[in-house]
Amino acid sequence: MKILLACSSGMSTSLLVNKMKEAAQEQSVEAEIWAVGQAEVETEMPKADVVLFGPQMRFLKTKFAGKSKELNVPLDVIPPVSYGRCDGKAVLKMAMDMIANK
Amino acid sequence: MSFFDKMEEPIMVIGEKLNNNTILKILRDAFMLAFPLTIFGSITLVIANLPFLDKLLGAERLAILQNMLNPASAVTMSIATVFIVLGIGYYFSKDQKVDALFGAAVALAAFLVLTPLEVITENEEVVSNVFSIDRLGAKSMFVGMFVAFFSAALYCKFVKKNFVIKMPASVPPAVSKSFAALIPAILTLTIFLIVRIIFTFTPWGNIHDFVFQIVQAPLTSLGKGIIPTIIAIFAIQLLWFFGLHEQIIVNSVLDPIWNTLSLENIDAYRAGEMLPNIVTKQFMESFTVSLGGTGMTLVVLIIILTMMKSKQLRGVGKLAAPAGIFNVNEPCIFGLPIVLNPTIAIPWILAPMVSTLVAYLAMATGIVPLTTGVSVPWTVPVFISDILATNSIRGGLLQLVQMAIVGIIWFPFLKTWDKSILKEEAAEQTE
Repeated sequence: MKILLACSSGMSTSLLVNKMKEAAQEQSVEAEIWAVGQAEVETEMPKADVVLFGPQMRFLKTKFAGKSKELNVPLDVIPPVSYGRCDGKAVLKMAMDMIANK
Repeated sequence: MSFFDKMEEPIMVIGEKLNNNTILKILRDAFMLAFPLTIFGSITLVIANLPFLDKLLGAERLAILQNMLNPASAVTMSIATVFIVLGIGYYFSKDQKVDALFGAAVALAAFLVLTPLEVITENEEVVSNVFSIDRLGAKSMFVGMFVAFFSAALYCKFVKKNFVIKMPASVPPAVSKSFAALIPAILTLTIFLIVRIIFTFTPWGNIHDFVFQIVQAPLTSLGKGIIPTIIAIFAIQLLWFFGLHEQIIVNSVLDPIWNTLSLENIDAYRAGEMLPNIVTKQFMESFTVSLGGTGMTLVVLIIILTMMKSKQLRGVGKLAAPAGIFNVNEPCIFGLPIVLNPTIAIPWILAPMVSTLVAYLAMATGIVPLTTGVSVPWTVPVFISDILATNSIRGGLLQLVQMAIVGIIWFPFLKTWDKSILKEEAAEQTE
């Protein structure tokens, strides 16, 4: 399972990446999780199974909607509360659900 | 629907338009291209100007050292426009799906075609066949940006119109690529050569001085005023209140102006002259973002951890503090939360405006030296970042004063909020 997170420079989402990796390890889920800045989303997207945006960059969702359909890589915005609390477990579950419903 | 919900939609639309605008996106990427180079130049400048070096080495040896390090900043910061022009040419062509390296080369050539090829010395001698370094830096930032966009657009248009010489398939790709670029490059550069010739008949003599006087000087003098700066801070805080990243207005629209102001300071600093600008890119980063992230929230976290009692606030405080030291404060903004939280909207928006005003006044009155224009990454923690940005301990002290001001404005609001959360938490326990 490959989960791509994106925000303006990939800085604050990288905090969440670590928490999600911990959560994945606890649940023995094999997951590759990484964070990038908005400039790299386009090139990184084909490598991912799912893309999640930080809530402060939620306008990116409309921008990449077409590409998402084309590649069949679902994308969504991380809920602000999970984002602020760095809730790795909740965001991991969100990503897993999105992949399952693909 | 609440008032905030109603406000959110138009702000989202504006944010989306600005962020996803191709021209602004290209400009943002182009400035990122120059960033590692200016950091390199900055490091050498900081070393050459360490405050105790003259005592350690003596004036003579210090001068030798400065001479040795000087080229490093001369070929990075002092000619930053060259890199911006290359970046715009490259990213514009890439966006148009035209060979990007050729697009970058054409943009650079177009810019240089318009640049005067002679220098007049102090004795009024004309030296020909040289570019003056100040024609490639801060002074020509705007003409560089315009020319890069226009030349790249023309070049891509000519390529797409199929004004190209096609080679048989057996010709190596590098050869056929350079032939494909031939006619579009010739057409584009001819146009810019004509522009150069036309400008020699105008009172300005060249397009550099024309754009500087008509566009750049008015825009930068507007951008360095305290009122526009405070309005920018207000806009940044308002955007974040709706949970939107400020770079959609800041990094794209205002960065060209703030970066130009920084480069003007660095030129003056290198020449040992008086620094011209208070508001620069470093002022906007070190004296705002480096106080714990956008909104200067490090002191808010300190107050929460030392003086607040509710579990909710303390929990977020503990989580957000480590990243906050390095000025990443999304956990604080979304966790407290600050987003759409009317309880703390007033200090969130007001405190950075007041604190920025104080920093401006401290510099305007000469209490604290101005930013030298040296690039300091925004993730450098408080106190250190401003000592680096101003090359003075007083810069760091000013940051501490700013933190105190932010803290005083926040405190009553935090206290009230903490009390009401405590009540809720107590009620939950008795249930």
